[in-house]
Amino acid sequence: MTYEEAIFYVIAAVTVAGGLGVVTARNVVHSALFLILSLIGVAAVFVLLASEFLAIVQVLVYGGAVTILILFAMMLTRVRDIAGPMDGPQRPIAALAAAVFLGTTVLAVKETEWRGNTEEATVVSIDQIGDVLFTTWAMPFEIASLVLMVALIGSIVLARGEEGE
Amino acid sequence: MIPIDNFLVLSAILFSLGMYGVLARRNAVLILMSVELMLQAVVINFVAFAVYLNPETFTGIIFAIFVIVIAAAEVGLALAIILRLFRNRQISNVDEADLMKW
Amino acid sequence: MGMDQAWLIPAIPAAAFAILLIFGPYLPRKGDWLAIAAIGASFVLVFPMLADLLDQADGTTYVAGEKAWEWLSFELAGVGETFEIEIGFYVDPITIVMLAVVTLVALMVQVYSIAYMKGDLRYGWYFTAMSLFAASMLTLVLANNLLLLYAGWEAVGFCSFLLIGFWWEKRSAAEAAKKAFITTRIGDVGLLIGIIMLWHEGPNTFNIQEIIHFAEEGGYGNTYLTAAVLFLFMGALGKSGQFPLHVWLPDAMEGPTPVSALIHAATMVVAGVYLVARMLPLFEVADPIALDIVLIVGLTTVMISATMGLAATDIKRVIAYSTLNSLGLMFVALGSSAVAAAMLYLFVHGFFKALLFLGAGSVIHATEEQDMDRLGGLAAKMPITAATFAIGTLAMIGIVPLSGFWAKDEVLVFAEEEQNIIVYLVLLSSLVITGLYMMRLFVRTFLFAPRVQETYAHAHEGGLLITVPLLVLGLLATVGGFVVFDEVGEALGFPGGFAQFVFLHGAHEFKFHLDTAITSTALAGGGAVAGWVLWQDKAALAAHIRDAFAPVSALLANRYYIDEIYQFAIDRIVLVLGGIIAWVDRVVVNDTGVNGSANLGYFAGFEIKFLQTGRIPNYALAIVAGILVLSIVMLVTQV
Repeated sequence: MTYEEAIFYVIAAVTVAGGLGVVTARNVVHSALFLILSLIGVAAVFVLLASEFLAIVQVLVYGGAVTILILFAMMLTRVRDIAGPMDGPQRPIAALAAAVFLGTTVLAVKETEWRGNTEEATVVSIDQIGDVLFTTWAMPFEIASLVLMVALIGSIVLARGEEGE
Repeated sequence: MIPIDNFLVLSAILFSLGMYGVLARRNAVLILMSVELMLQAVVINFVAFAVYLNPETFTGIIFAIFVIVIAAAEVGLALAIILRLFRNRQISNVDEADLMKW
Repeated sequence: MGMDQAWLIPAIPAAAFAILLIFGPYLPRKGDWLAIAAIGASFVLVFPMLADLLDQADGTTYVAGEKAWEWLSFELAGVGETFEIEIGFYVDPITIVMLAVVTLVALMVQVYSIAYMKGDLRYGWYFTAMSLFAASMLTLVLANNLLLLYAGWEAVGFCSFLLIGFWWEKRSAAEAAKKAFITTRIGDVGLLIGIIMLWHEGPNTFNIQEIIHFAEEGGYGNTYLTAAVLFLFMGALGKSGQFPLHVWLPDAMEGPTPVSALIHAATMVVAGVYLVARMLPLFEVADPIALDIVLIVGLTTVMISATMGLAATDIKRVIAYSTLNSLGLMFVALGSSAVAAAMLYLFVHGFFKALLFLGAGSVIHATEEQDMDRLGGLAAKMPITAATFAIGTLAMIGIVPLSGFWAKDEVLVFAEEEQNIIVYLVLLSSLVITGLYMMRLFVRTFLFAPRVQETYAHAHEGGLLITVPLLVLGLLATVGGFVVFDEVGEALGFPGGFAQFVFLHGAHEFKFHLDTAITSTALAGGGAVAGWVLWQDKAALAAHIRDAFAPVSALLANRYYIDEIYQFAIDRIVLVLGGIIAWVDRVVVNDTGVNGSANLGYFAGFEIKFLQTGRIPNYALAIVAGILVLSIVMLVTQV
């Protein structure tokens, strides 16, 4: 085991622990905090994958905006005041389904012969990403901003409520 | 020198956890959080494939960026819907919203 | 203008039909002049055809004119052959004879109809239907392939239906139209089967000449061909009202009388004769039993129709029975392979039978009565009708020198030479009966004392529109038979005479046997004289004879109970079978099949709808289950 692998295992353990916390915590606010942990872990994974740019975006967008948004929603919907169990009656089936899916996926990963260099990641610089993002992918990029705007307006319209409410 | 399999297995674990959460949880916000986990798994997959298997065009990274963008938009909209549901019907558990049936 | 333009002959009445159908009500006189002009044009066009045929003839060998257009063409799946249907027209001497009869009689009848149908509620529709009939009949005659012939065949049947039921407000007319349509349909099914059989084993064409050629080279199996031609004959049987499908023709007299004259005497009913004549080479190649059956059917029809004619009192029905009688004779001729004799009889029969019908129509028009027991003595009031009717009667009986004699004599000679002596004797005895009932018809209608004074007082001769067609047809019925003399034929422009004109293979000539002629004339004349005596002078004796043979006369008056037998069969067999089928349709098909499957769907839907819980986690679970199944399938198959 190289030291890089050791670092990977540590980060992976943190990430998985965070994910486990999200889906099992009995307190919803704890769930949200576990989610932050997991998201930070994923950002670290991106670093291991030699994609610093993505790691920064991850921390900014998820760790900042998305988590805050979720916490806001929890506050507004008073989730903590709701009585009853956090999990539905489907829990055993859900566990089974998730386990089966994990099994098949891992099996598929192990059985597949990947083409290319599977041992070492190749560094993709921010220069390269910026270059293609504004040339080859310029059109999807613009459309993505349009989508964001539509989602913004949509959210406002939905959340604001009707007149006289 | 981390083999690609490590990332893929990590991604699979995260995705399965998210799937479990979506199926098992009752609260809409918790389900949304589980969905975020699944999206993270997908993004890890994309990036891993890009940097290991296809570093020349690294489409996976570009795709990952777009996934993050769309995920942000989705979270915004989903939370607006959850708020609306709560305001109109005083519920935030999805299994209580069962009017759309036979 | 030659044989290549033969398509114009049916096309002109067809165009007239289309115009009348759409614009008829807006035309002056409701367009009767258009229908007549169209059929007149067709009649005129026959002559260029004839001239062209004679021009191209090499001596007495005629080159038939044929022209065809492709109508449908497609690849037969799996066979690799091309299936082609043509619209084509074929002109040979037989066609010309038919064309001449059809167009001339149709022209006369339509002129006559102007007066006869005057003031009718559906005057315009009458001429429309007549135009359609003319177009269909001419198509049938000119068709070069069996499918086009079949189309014309069905179309004339349809027109017959329309025109028999022309006064459909009258229940009996509607019933008669239905009966005629359904009865002939039985034969038509056979015709279609025959056509399909000939095509199936044949040279992948419907062309009549090619099929005949193929058959003559032994292309068909003997039994197969025999079955096929017998099916063809079944169509002829229905259309020409031969036993046992003759029942519709007497009832068809419910239609307007000119219709009876045209469709049910001169043209449509001889389509069967024409079909058999056209396909006769097939009958000859097939097993001899095929021609024997034609002969026997003809002979049976001759005898039963002649005897039934003795008992009928409706004048139109009597003429209808005489039509059956004549058609039977034509089939006897065909059964003896005597195409020329059959076509000659068909030719002259068209004239004298149309004449008889138009004469009867004149009587009905004048008196509005068609029961001979309530008529009588009309000769004094309607001399032209009576004189022409007498010509028709004598021609039908076969008195020298009227046309009927020559044609009938040809048939007799052939029967004598080619057939069993029994056939000959039966034919001779039928002549006596023909003389009897035809003379009875004439005597009781035009001579004797008027029985109902009211109608007698009312009677009068019709106008020129009625008498001119009568006179023209009377003239033709008188002299038409002279074409048997080769000199007459040559004078008319047929090299070698009429017999050399209409024949199928091998030279043919009309024969004249003095002894046969004398025998037949004596018998027919004897019958006629006996009829005259019985019903003119000794009416009491006639009644006495009728009463003495009461069972026989009841049998005849009831038409051998054939209608009753059919009715019984329909009630007991067809309707019972129909009931069973209806039950199967109602219970099995409808309740179980249609409603059952619908109910099953409804019930299943009712049960399954509870899967729609409305809860998102359940739906999510279903999605995941699908993904899992797919991933496992992928894993099993790909790894």
